[in-house]
This record gives sequence, C-alpha cells and structure tokens, in this order.
Amino acid sequence: MTGVPFQTISFRVISCFFVGLLSTLQAEPLRVVSQTVGTDEMLLAVADPEQVIALSHIARERNFSAVAKRAEGFPVIDRGDAETILKFRPDVVLVANYSRGELVSQLARAGVELMVFDQYTTMEDAFANLRRLAQRLGAGAEPRAEAVIADVKNRLRDLRARLEGVTPVKVVAPSTYGVTSGAGTTFQDMCDHAAADNLATTLGGLEGHAQMPREQMLTWPVEKVVLSGYEVEAAITPFLTLIPFRFMDAVKNRRVALVEPYMFGSVTHYRIDGYERLARQLHPEVFSDD
Amino acid sequence: MNLSDRQKWAMPAALGLLFSGMMGSLMVGDLAMSPAMLWAGLMRTDELATTVLWNIRLPRTVVAMEIGAALAASGVVMQAFFRNHLASPGLLGVSAGGAAGAVIAIGSGWAAWSYFTVPVVAIVGAVGATLAVVVLAKQGASTERLLLAGIALNALLGAVTSYVLSNFTLSYERNAQILFWLLGGLEDRTWEHVGMASPIVVAALFLWPLGRSMDLLSLGQSEAQSLGVDVKSVRRRMLIWATVMTALATAVAGMVGFVGLVVPHIFRLLFGPEHRRLVPVSLIGGAAFVLFCDVIARSAGNIRLGIITALVGGPFFLWMLRRES
Repeated sequence: MTGVPFQTISFRVISCFFVGLLSTLQAEPLRVVSQTVGTDEMLLAVADPEQVIALSHIARERNFSAVAKRAEGFPVIDRGDAETILKFRPDVVLVANYSRGELVSQLARAGVELMVFDQYTTMEDAFANLRRLAQRLGAGAEPRAEAVIADVKNRLRDLRARLEGVTPVKVVAPSTYGVTSGAGTTFQDMCDHAAADNLATTLGGLEGHAQMPREQMLTWPVEKVVLSGYEVEAAITPFLTLIPFRFMDAVKNRRVALVEPYMFGSVTHYRIDGYERLARQLHPEVFSDD
Repeated sequence: MNLSDRQKWAMPAALGLLFSGMMGSLMVGDLAMSPAMLWAGLMRTDELATTVLWNIRLPRTVVAMEIGAALAASGVVMQAFFRNHLASPGLLGVSAGGAAGAVIAIGSGWAAWSYFTVPVVAIVGAVGATLAVVVLAKQGASTERLLLAGIALNALLGAVTSYVLSNFTLSYERNAQILFWLLGGLEDRTWEHVGMASPIVVAALFLWPLGRSMDLLSLGQSEAQSLGVDVKSVRRRMLIWATVMTALATAVAGMVGFVGLVVPHIFRLLFGPEHRRLVPVSLIGGAAFVLFCDVIARSAGNIRLGIITALVGGPFFLWMLRRES
C-alpha cells in the first residue's frame, strides 16, 4: 500500500474540519420564501426564524392560516407576481402544485430553487412534507420536524382512543354557494378522524366539492350541520333563509358543530386541530374529563 | 302550413309550450317523485313532497316564467327600438349594471344584511346604467349614440365587476357567490323572489298595447310620426319597460344571456314580424324557453341556467350574424 503519510492525512482531516466549521459559522442562513398558506404553516413549524424571509399573502388571515398570529412577526408577499417574491432575494421558494404555472416558471427562470409540494391529501403526506422541508432547511430543522410529528401522532392516538366505540354523528357541511364537500376533501378527512358520518359522501355519493342535491338532502337524517366560523348565530344565519337548509331540522333547531374556517381547508399537520375541534363538537361526552 | 295559418296557432302553440315547460319543471328534480308523491305534495298530504313541490320547485318554476317573459319581451322591445334584429337587453348595459350592483352587494358584505339586498342593489345598478346611457347619449338620443353609449357602459361596468371580483379573492365564499350569480341560475329561488319579480307582470301589461306603435315605429321614426304615433313618448315607454323588466330579471336570477335574442327571433321566423302578435307570444314563449332550459340544466346535473341559454343562444347568434351578412 503506497501510503500517504499519517501527518498529511491528519492535516487534511483537521483542515477540512476547520474549513467546514468556518464555512458553517460564516454561512448566511438559507433565505426561504413561502408562497402558499400550507407552506407557511410548515415553514414556521420547522425553520429557524432567520430563515423565514417572507410568507404568503394570506399568512396573517386567521380564516385561512393556522399560524396567523405568528405570521405577524414576518413580512408577507403583498402581491402575487414573481418580482414581489424575487425582491426578497430568496434562496428557496416554497410553492404548491396549484401555484400559478407562469409564476413558478418565472421564478425558475430567475434561478431560484423551488420546492414544489404536490402531495397533501393525508396526514402521512403532511408528515412527509415536513420531513422533506426540514431536510432542505438543515440540521436544526429535522429534530423540530420530528418533534412536531411525534406530538401530532400522540394527539391522534389520544383522539382515536377517546372516540373508540362512539356512534358516528351524521353531518353535512353546507355552503351558501350551492356546493358541499364529499369524498376526497379535507372535510371528509376531518369527518373520518372525528367520528362523523358525512352524508354527502355516504348517502349522496358526492366526490370532491360537488353541487348539492338540494331536494334529496331533505331526506337525509342530518343530526348536525358543520359550519365554519367563530360564533354559532353568525355562522347559521345565512342558512336560516336558504333552500334547502331552511327546511332542515338540524338548521331550524341550530344543531351546529362549529369549526374554525382554517381547519376546513388545512393541508398540513394542523389538520389535527380540525379533527380535535370537530370531535369535541360532535362527541363532547368523551372529552368531559378535560 | 302558410304564414297566416301558422299565425292562428301562435298563441295556442306558445301556451302549449308553456304548459309543457311548467309540467317538466314541476316533475324534474334531484328527488325522484312518483305521480302519487307529486299529487300528495300538491294536496299537501306528505310533508317532504309538500316542501319540495311548494317551496322548492314551484317558486323556481314561477321565477323561471317571470324572467323568461321579461327577457324575451325586453328583446322584442330593444330590437324594435334600435330597428336592429341583433339588439338585446344586454346591449344598453342594463344587465351589466344589474350585475355590477349585485356583485358590489355581495363583495362588500351587504348581502348578509337582508335577503332583499342583492336584488334591490341590482335593480339600482340596472336603472343607474340605463339613466347613464340616456344621459351619455342625450343629444338627440339617436340609435347609434345609444348603442355606442351602451357598449362603453358595458365595458365600464364589466371593469367594476372584475375589480370587485379581484379585490375579494380572500373571501372564497363571497367570490364563489359572485361567480355563481354571474353565471345566472334559478337554484334556491323562493316565494320572496317570486314577489320581487312580480312587477314584471305589471310591466308586461303595459307593454302589451305598445305592439301596434312598435309596428309603425319599425317603418321609421318620421313614417311612424306621420301615421300618428307619438314617437318620443312611445320610445320612452319602450325604454322604461324594457329596463324595468331586464333589471328585475337580472336581480332575481343573475346574468341569463341570449333569451332576449333567441326567443323573439324564433317566433318572428315562425309567426311573422308584427309586434302586436310578437310581444304577447314572446312573453309566453320566453317563459316556456327558460323553463325548458332550466329543466335541461337540472337534468344535466345542475348546470347553471346561464350556461344552457348561452349554449343554445351562442350558435343561434352566430347563425343570425351569417344570415344578416
């Protein structure tokens, strides 16, 4: 074996170590801009605050964002064009596969690294997205992601244990614009985890956000309507005059499960908030020890 | 069958179509109802059937008839007013004014105040648009000036609508309502909407006797004047009633296009151009046309009414353009 003298190896190892350490110490933090509310939620969960350069334009809207309060401490993208994002000089921009195609291609052409998130149907997808983001953000982010995932798993376990054996409550999610949520929606996911029977799926056979079968709905044995809002009376008022809801006993008698608006559409690990909130509204008896 | 024979059948045919449309509208829905259940609903002996029939299908049927009659009759009037077979209620910006009003009401959140806010603001918008056109074109109010003012106003009001839509992107619920409203439809119409649109019947009664004057007016203004028509007064009344009808129709059902273009033409081709006959036949035929379009819309999985009327009216309009050229 024609060897390299030990001292040389040692010198190289030591010098590499110091160069690495030096570059780590001197490296600017990764500058990350988030373009969607889902990526806002993930970014704030796992990133170092100095890595968060800007959040999406709806990051501070409590109707859409689970991190509205925290987002107040960060800049937001105030318009939807590429220039607005590029002015933050990002290293990485987080987008989703529903982000506008022309915006994404403009950002790519500008040489910015893009992380596109395209799987967000289940909680497992949410975990995978957190891990993927954390891996890109660097060593400190990964333990944070694992801690978040572990916490959510614990909450899921607890929820499953509490709801074991309960009879699912028959629900629908009305809207004022003629569509309701069926199979394959975030609402269905919420029902699946909160012991709720979404009648739009089981009796109506609806998939996705579909037109309501207004007349058929009157034959459904709706026990509670799930509404989005912060206060029952305000949330139910539009439905008291709207066909077919005005003729439904659940609406007339104000049998409402109220869920915060952001929970209806959450595609990140924060969907656990929706599961818990809906479960508490539908099955208060199993949470009586809290 | 020659024209005079066909003319004898004009009214019975229109009434027959209307009756068939009404039956179709009452029988078709997403809840399958047997004849026995329908009867039970009519007789109010079954709660579910009663609710569906009396509170969902019947108001929808009546509103369809009201807006169909209104839009078709407005089309006849506009075509006579402009002496142009391609004129329609949307031309002066009346529909666009109604749409802009409704969109502002929904976008700003006023719609939540009361059931009547959107229709009332839509009517204000439609009337405002008509007044604006008349003022803009006031020097003589010639047909050309009115048409140009209408085109300009349509563009302006379209910009208002687009601005409101783009400004409320954060409110998904409101934007969805606006879009659904802009596409026109009869879902969730109630007896309140029937009442709101009921002045259409009054307007139709005022419009009916204007048929003869409209026939004379189609010869030209000076010819009509020499034959004893008070041209200014007749034109003013035509404009007022057509505006009222379009405004009310837009207020209760959103933007439903092409009815005012298609229906008068079909009946003109079938039964001749005399307005004495065309006005009443279009009132009834327009009601039947919208009923049939709504039945198709419901049968095809609740497609918006405006889409069906546009699918029927668009090709018809192109055919008309080719024919005219």
